[in-house]
Amino acid sequence: MDKWLHPAVFYFIGSLLLPLIKNEKAKKFFILLIPILSILDVALMQEGVYGSYRFLNTTVIFGRVDKLSLVFAWVFVIMAFLGALYALHVKEDGHHIAGNFYIGSSLGVLFAGDYFTVFIFWEIMAFSSVFLVWYRKEQKSIDAGYRYLLVHVFGGLLFFTGMMLYYYKTGGLVFDKILPANAGLPEYLILAGFSLNAAVLPLHAWLPDAYPEATVEGAVLMCAFTTKTAVYVLARGFPGFEILAILGTAMTVYGVFYAVIENDMRRVLAYHIVSQVGYMVAGIGIGTELALNGACAHAFAHILYKALLFMGAGAVLYMTGTAKLSRLGGLYKYMPFTMIFYIVGAVSISGFPLFSGFVSKSMVVASAHEQGRLWLMAFMNLAGIGTFLSVGLKVTYFAFFSKDEAPIKAAEPPKNMLWAMGLTSALCFIIGVYPKALYVLLPFQVEYNPFTLPHFSEALQILSFTGLIFFLLVKKLVPEDKITLDVDYFYRKGGRAFMKLDEKVISVVDTFWGELYRTLGLKLLFKNADISYGFDRQAIDGVVDGGALSVRGIGGLAKKLQTGKIQSYIGFSIFIFILIVWFVIYGM
Amino acid sequence: MKVLKYIESLRKHLKPLRNVLVAYLIVLVIYDVIIHLGAHSHYFVDNIPGFWTMFGIVGCFVLIKVAKGIAHAFLSKDEDFYG
Repeated sequence: MDKWLHPAVFYFIGSLLLPLIKNEKAKKFFILLIPILSILDVALMQEGVYGSYRFLNTTVIFGRVDKLSLVFAWVFVIMAFLGALYALHVKEDGHHIAGNFYIGSSLGVLFAGDYFTVFIFWEIMAFSSVFLVWYRKEQKSIDAGYRYLLVHVFGGLLFFTGMMLYYYKTGGLVFDKILPANAGLPEYLILAGFSLNAAVLPLHAWLPDAYPEATVEGAVLMCAFTTKTAVYVLARGFPGFEILAILGTAMTVYGVFYAVIENDMRRVLAYHIVSQVGYMVAGIGIGTELALNGACAHAFAHILYKALLFMGAGAVLYMTGTAKLSRLGGLYKYMPFTMIFYIVGAVSISGFPLFSGFVSKSMVVASAHEQGRLWLMAFMNLAGIGTFLSVGLKVTYFAFFSKDEAPIKAAEPPKNMLWAMGLTSALCFIIGVYPKALYVLLPFQVEYNPFTLPHFSEALQILSFTGLIFFLLVKKLVPEDKITLDVDYFYRKGGRAFMKLDEKVISVVDTFWGELYRTLGLKLLFKNADISYGFDRQAIDGVVDGGALSVRGIGGLAKKLQTGKIQSYIGFSIFIFILIVWFVIYGM
Repeated sequence: MKVLKYIESLRKHLKPLRNVLVAYLIVLVIYDVIIHLGAHSHYFVDNIPGFWTMFGIVGCFVLIKVAKGIAHAFLSKDEDFYG
């Protein structure tokens, strides 16, 4: 195929057509058809550069297809299908539309060849994914959604500032590998913007804040795309940056540390995203071919098993109404299949032999070992202990066992959810026993073999003895009805302090100023008005009347837009998205 | 359901299950000693048989103690902490 079709097109156009389909069966078919078409599109893609235009004195490139973008594209479209299957029972069109815009724009980032295009899709991602939080329709989710959005706008601004400075520095916006020696303020600002989306410490708190408040189906999508898009752009632009190696390794331990304490199942998993993305970031920071391959392989494997875990936890939440471990237990009797699929995800993330984490995570660890960076390797292995301890043992034990009689009775979730979990489990297993299927997609030639005796022995010793200690100390780990402070404390409490300051100080000053204006200023104003009145009546009235009428018209329109209904906001936002996308694609 | 029956029967035989698992742990360490015979690498961690066993035990213990300790010291708050 010498013509190239952007896979995002299916998601954007599909979203527009979705509300037009009234028949329920046809709608479900259509929801699954979108990702299937995009999978075919990615399968037929040839490497090359497509869709480049001149725009604002720079070149924008929509289609840079190479091995690095393709490996991410593959897992993105596969995940899109699994996510759509899992969400098939969702009745609201808006939820599917938000999801599709989110997936489409993350594909847009993957194939973008310049910072400007990355930025546009970057912002659409943030603004469409927030609806997956808001659709939960609970006050907590609405609040968390606003915080999510504000943090991402901040990250977008860092990126935007860096991009502008980069333009002045280099005269172009080409998005390519940056050498650490050449990096200055612009590059580091872009790096900070990217790092925020990758949940790199200390810019990570938005993730465990927002994801556990998202809808059951939305969280499955969110855990796959935002951080992994960021991993992709970091791998593209910033391989070999030492700071990423250090921070990435710190993330691996930091995430599991919180996961050991947390009570909410989905928050445990969210902290594990921080931890697992840490391996990828560290791999990018180490920067060798093996390390970069490891980062990509781990992103691929991680998207699948993390989605599987979120599907399992989501199914529990969907059927019991809570994801708090302190209120769960004994569910193995009621949800055995959900439990088995969850355990497949748990052993995959922990890196058990024959499951996907074993063949991907170990590439990053081996690259640290190969470079003689034993401290990094030790901390990554320590994080491996914490992963199995919290996701594998703690959550499984306290959600599905621990009590003989379940405090909350439940049943297996809807069939489509079980099918999605089953398929994802199968993929985790296939990658684990036949890693070649994954390795051929990686950006560099792979000479890595995970199936060696010392590697088996290392993994089994670490995991098995973690299991031993867990059962010896299980009483210490009983989940408590508590929340855990993280760095979001500073802006959550800080925001409140600012409101207090506003109430107590700024509003007092404001009132005083208003009073001053009313007594002094208004008198002067009246005088002035008298003079201009004469002139005004004769000359300007005619013009203003016309203008005022149209302003009133716009005001009325704006009033109509503010109906307070989430549906109309979504509709309006999507309309604006489409306009932006249309301008971007055809406006040149 | 067959799956459920299988899990129930495992739960009824916890003692033999535990014995099997303990035996498995012992075999694991012996296995590691065997594959270390004659193998040499330039990093010390690769040359100590059973290194990762110790690492697993100590790491897991320290992680639980430190995490729970810090949580109880100041990180854990009531659920309505943020209002």
